[in-house]
Amino acid sequence: MDETLAEFFRRTILKIPMTEMMTILKTWNFLSENQLQTVNFRQRKESIVQDLVLLCEENRASLNDAAHLDIIYTQFHRHQKIWDVFQMSKAPGDDIDLFDMEQFKSSFKKILQRALKNVTVSFRDAEENSVWIRIAWGTQYKKPNQYKPAYVVYYSQTPYAFTSSSRLKSNLPLLGQALTVASKHHQIVKMDLRSRYLDSLKAIVFKQYNQSFETHNCTTSLQEGSLGLNINMDSRIIHENKVEKERVQRVTQEIFGDYPQPRLEFAQYKLETKFKSDLNGGILAEREEPLRCLVKFSSPHLLEALKSLAPAGIADAPLSPLLTCIPNKGKNYFKIRDK
Amino acid sequence: MELANTLRQDGESRGGVLAHLERLETQVSKSRKKLEEPQNAQALEARIHELKRLRDKLRAEVKQRQARVKASTANVEPDQILEISEQEILERKQENMKAILQAYRFTGISGKLTSRGVCVCISTAFEGNLLDSYFVDLVMEKPLWIHHHSVPVFIPLEEISAKYLQTNTRHFLFVLWEYLNAYSGRKYQAERLQSDFAAFLVGPLQRNSLCNLLSFTYKVKPEGQSFPFCARLLYKDLTTTLPTDVTVTSQGTEALPSTWEEQRAAHENLFFTKPLHQVFTSFAKKGEKLDMSLVS
Repeated sequence: MDETLAEFFRRTILKIPMTEMMTILKTWNFLSENQLQTVNFRQRKESIVQDLVLLCEENRASLNDAAHLDIIYTQFHRHQKIWDVFQMSKAPGDDIDLFDMEQFKSSFKKILQRALKNVTVSFRDAEENSVWIRIAWGTQYKKPNQYKPAYVVYYSQTPYAFTSSSRLKSNLPLLGQALTVASKHHQIVKMDLRSRYLDSLKAIVFKQYNQSFETHNCTTSLQEGSLGLNINMDSRIIHENKVEKERVQRVTQEIFGDYPQPRLEFAQYKLETKFKSDLNGGILAEREEPLRCLVKFSSPHLLEALKSLAPAGIADAPLSPLLTCIPNKGKNYFKIRDK
Repeated sequence: MELANTLRQDGESRGGVLAHLERLETQVSKSRKKLEEPQNAQALEARIHELKRLRDKLRAEVKQRQARVKASTANVEPDQILEISEQEILERKQENMKAILQAYRFTGISGKLTSRGVCVCISTAFEGNLLDSYFVDLVMEKPLWIHHHSVPVFIPLEEISAKYLQTNTRHFLFVLWEYLNAYSGRKYQAERLQSDFAAFLVGPLQRNSLCNLLSFTYKVKPEGQSFPFCARLLYKDLTTTLPTDVTVTSQGTEALPSTWEEQRAAHENLFFTKPLHQVFTSFAKKGEKLDMSLVS
C-alpha cells in the first residue's frame, strides 16, 4: 500500500475513540470477523491501530475504502462539524422528479471531475433515501487533500442540502453547481441557517419539529392544565401573581409548543438602523447614517433557553418575534434595516 | 302544746324571751308547711298534666314523621332510579359519539376542531390495509394557513396549497389525500417486495423518497437456475399506485433463451397491471405449479 494511503488509514483509525472502535469497524464491514479477532484490543492504542492498518493492507484497501471509513466516523461525530443549509429550486415548468440515486451519484461525480482533475468523491447511502457525500478537494496540480474534506448530506427529492462548512470556500460554487445539476434543480441559494446539530437543521427545514396533533384517537390528553406550575402543591406556600404567571405560561406554550425545540447554538442579528431616541437632541439622534452593530445570542441550546426566559421572569411574554420566528423562518442569521 | 305546758309548769319561762321567740318561729314554719302542702300537690298535679300533654304531643309528632319518611322514601326511590338511567343513557351516547368520531379515520379524511381551527387527519390505505396517517393543522383565519403538519417534505404540499387552499379547501384536502394515499400505496408495495420476496431479488431494491422510481434485478424462481431480469418502474403520475413506465431488460450480454422475449413482454405487462407484490406472488404460484407438474 502507498505510504500516504497507509498514513491516512492510520490517522483516520487513530481518531476513533476506543469505546466506539468495534461499532465503527463493524459498520464499515471491510475487515472480517475473523480478522478482527486476531487483533489484541488490550494493547496500547497505537499498537492496535498498527495491527488494523496491516490488516487493511492485507485486504488491499483502496482510497475509496478509507473514504468510506472517514464518512462513517463523521456520521458518528456529526456534531464536530458546523453545517450550512442550501435550498434548491426548480424552474416552474419542470417535470415530476424521477430521482435515480445512481444517476445522481454518477452525474455529481462527473461534474466535479470535469472541472477539477484532482478530486476524490465518495458516497454512502443513509436512512430515509439520503446520501452522504465526501469530497476531498485538489487542484489542477495538487493531489486532493484527504484531511480537509467537505461533506454533503442530501435527502432525495427534497430541495435541501446540508454541507459541512469547508475552509476551502473557493470550491463552494462548483459544489453548488454539481448538486443542482445532478438533482435536476435550477438554482441553489445558501440559507441563513447554521448549526452543529444536523438533525435539528433537518427538523427545522423539513418542518418536522412540531409533531403533536389533536385527534379523537389520542389516549393521552394534551396537557393543557399542567403547564409546569404545580400551584396547589403545598398550602403553606402562597403564590403571588398567579394570574400573570399563568398568562406567561399560556403565551409561552402557544408560541413554543409542547415539543422539544430543535437545537441551535446561536442567533445573530446584524442591525443597520438609524438611532431612535425619545430625548430631543443628543449627538446620535442627528446622525443620518444608520448605525451598524451585531447582536449575538449564544447558548448550548438556544431555543430552549429562549423558551424559559419569560417563565423565569427575565423577559416579558410574548418575546420579540425576531427571536420566536427562528424555527418557523428557518433562519438564525438576520439583517435588520430600516424600512 | 308542749310549749304552753312548759311555760305554765315552770311559772317563770325557761330561756326567757329568746325561747319564746323560738317557739313562735317554729309555730310559723309549721303553719306554713300546712299551707304549702295543698299548693304543692296542686302544682305537682298541674305539672303531671303538663308532662302528659307534652308526651302525647311528642308521640303524635314522632308518628307523623315516621309516616312522612316512609312516604318520602317511597317517592324518592323511583325518582333516583330515573336519574341514574338518564345518566347512563347520556354516557352511552357520549361513548358512541366518541367511537364514531374515532372511526371517521377510515373514511380517509377526518378532523378535530381545535381552538384556532381544525386539525385534519389524512389516513392512507392500500388493499384494505390501513397505513400511515398524516396531519395538517389549519388555522381558520382569512387567509387560511397551515400551522404545522406531518406531511413528508417530498410531497408537493406547497404547490397544492398554493393552488387550492384558499379557493377550494375541500379540493385541497382531496388532492393532498390523493398524493399521500398513492405514496403510501407505492411504499407499501416496495416494502412488501423487500420483505416477502427477498429470495427472488438479486441485489438491493433501489428506490427514492417518493417511491416513484424502482429499480431491481429479480429471478422468477428463488433458487439459482432461472435467468435474471432487470426491471425499472417509473410512476410519473404521483396520484397512482401502478407504474406509468415499465422496462424489463436482461442483465448481461450472455445468450438469451428463446422463451426469454415472450417472458420479458409478459412480465412487463404484469408490472403494468398488478401491484408489485402481487406480481411476485404470481411468480411464486407459477413456480409451485411447475414443481407440482415435475412431481406428477
